[in-house]
Amino acid sequence: MKITRRIFTSMVAGVVLAATGIIGSVSAADMPAPFDKPSEVKIALVRYLSTGDFFQAYLAGVESQAKILGVDLRILDSRQDAALQADMVDQAIALGVDGIIVQHGLTESMQEAVKRAIAAGIKVVAFDVDVENPDVPQIEQSDFMLAKMALDQAIIDNGTTFNAGYVYVPGIAPLDRRDVAWKEVKDANPGIKQLAEFGTLDNPIANSVANQARSVLAANPTITVMFAPYDEFAKGVKIAVDEAGMTSQVKIYSADVSTSDISAMREEGSAWAATAATNPAVVGEVSVRVLAMLLAGEDPGHNVVVPPTLITQTMLNDGDIKNMKELSAKIPAFAHADVAVPAWMPLPKR
Amino acid sequence: MKQASLSKDKIKAVAIRYGFLTLLAGLVLFFSLSAPGFATPFSAVFIFQSVAITGILALGVTATLVVDGFDLSIGSIATSSLMLSAYIMVVLEQNAVVAVIACLAMGAIVGLVNGVLIVYMRVPDLLATLGMMFLLIGLQRIPTEGRSIAQGMTLPGGETATGVFSKSFLALGRHKFDFFIENFIPFSVIIFVVIAVLIWLYFEFTRYGRVMYAIGSNERAAGLAGVPVHKYKIIAYMISGVLASVGGILLAARLGRGDIASGNNLLLDSVAAALIGFAVLGAAKPNAFGTAIGALFVGILLQGMTMMNAPYYTQDFVKGAVLVVALVFTFSLSNRR
Repeated sequence: MKITRRIFTSMVAGVVLAATGIIGSVSAADMPAPFDKPSEVKIALVRYLSTGDFFQAYLAGVESQAKILGVDLRILDSRQDAALQADMVDQAIALGVDGIIVQHGLTESMQEAVKRAIAAGIKVVAFDVDVENPDVPQIEQSDFMLAKMALDQAIIDNGTTFNAGYVYVPGIAPLDRRDVAWKEVKDANPGIKQLAEFGTLDNPIANSVANQARSVLAANPTITVMFAPYDEFAKGVKIAVDEAGMTSQVKIYSADVSTSDISAMREEGSAWAATAATNPAVVGEVSVRVLAMLLAGEDPGHNVVVPPTLITQTMLNDGDIKNMKELSAKIPAFAHADVAVPAWMPLPKR
Repeated sequence: MKQASLSKDKIKAVAIRYGFLTLLAGLVLFFSLSAPGFATPFSAVFIFQSVAITGILALGVTATLVVDGFDLSIGSIATSSLMLSAYIMVVLEQNAVVAVIACLAMGAIVGLVNGVLIVYMRVPDLLATLGMMFLLIGLQRIPTEGRSIAQGMTLPGGETATGVFSKSFLALGRHKFDFFIENFIPFSVIIFVVIAVLIWLYFEFTRYGRVMYAIGSNERAAGLAGVPVHKYKIIAYMISGVLASVGGILLAARLGRGDIASGNNLLLDSVAAALIGFAVLGAAKPNAFGTAIGALFVGILLQGMTMMNAPYYTQDFVKGAVLVVALVFTFSLSNRR
């Protein structure tokens, strides 16, 4: 084949394109409007909950994805004031933002505020709050899958016949969703007997739960599995199991993860066998990406679920993982979710 | 006729004096019969351990109640001490002794500031300590930007903390001494009992303790009798602050990490224990023995109910009912006030 000038040009172009693809540095010109001029895109994060490790990490994820996109991010924090959060949406409208991420809140107060934003031509996405609006994609970490994943591991480790203790406080939305998985697993496996159910949110939660779990273990010494689908609960149960000298007899399965959870799971002979978790930073990144897709005129779908990752004691020990940073580095599924990733989307560097 | 009313008074006096302890004994009997595993030495130790921290805080509350004051900041002093000890060991990489001394000093200083605000700045006690409570809840989060402190945590600057909770510090919350049975009595229980005895001796048998009661019943009269009222009131808040920080140290040693928490539940539980203590032996006033019994009473109730699988909201309900009954014992049946 004779290499004509046209073929040569297209080959060069192909190589250049491939190269940019490999390096992964997407320049602003490659992104669809309005991200061809990203610094002129303004987005707002309107928060309801902000104190605590989870929300801190979520914010970090939002910030890093916004930074790599090059957009202007405003953070409005209502600190658990539902009325103020609704006002903050109006404030964001007045600021002239292009998109809003609503992070938690109450359906009752946010529904109307979100409608006003949409009427003003602003794109909105919501994380963990149902604003009951077909134009607003709902981003969720699947609490049901979290619990299911941990319980599947419990069955792999302990078989389908065991005596269990369960930590639960009804009326807390994510715990209620996790409770559905526990009920299903119990119904499907009649060999699993729940001998005790307890739980409290008195803070410090771990300390209060430890006191309860001590009593439960004394009253039910045949328990071999504790399902504590929230890491503060699991920490409390672990303290009680250790204090009661039942470390080698009881296994704990939980949900969520943090640096201190990792060190508790990795203690010599720890009773804490496994947890399932969604990385809050990844959820933050996904929130921004979904909003960006909306702004670019693409359809991210109405329900965007960020899948959880199973983390076992063995995985942590094998990888010598000591904190969240190393967890992200060594377990790729935890560091990144393949959710809302069109070809043009730049991803935060790891 | 006169005979009859006299014996009626006597019965009433006995009821007031021993009614609450009888209730406690009845409760123990009930749980022993209905909750398997309740009537064991291990269960008794569990109860002591679960009330050790609130019990120590409640003794601090008692000290301020004695001088007719009130300290709303103890819960947040405890959680600040929890964070401070974790920060000193994990981030600043110091040892257990430094951590304990720093926490005790922090408690004493906060108590001193509370006392000065109340005595010299004339801020009402509830308001001064309320302000201090908010201040501390915020302050404890500033160094880590709102994160909890754990070994190997990522610091705000991005680097990883290399300090660890020292073994001897953790022993404060986790070590168990042999006592007839191997690994039986936890260190925290011993600290609780020792503090309770010391505070009891101080208020019942030392001149200083009696003077504090005198200030509590009539501040002006005590002042006219030549008591340095200001000094004693400040000391009462310092006792409260130091005891709260001890509670925080034990909490940190048990949890093995620095948890951000407001400590409001600690405050409420310990105030409840101190108020229940009014009813013990018909004292009708704050007293260390009653406070310790009050804390145990709540502990026994919660332990027994948890063993019988009672959900958490019934526990709050029962805790409240006990407090109301205790207050009726104190204020209505007793006429010694």
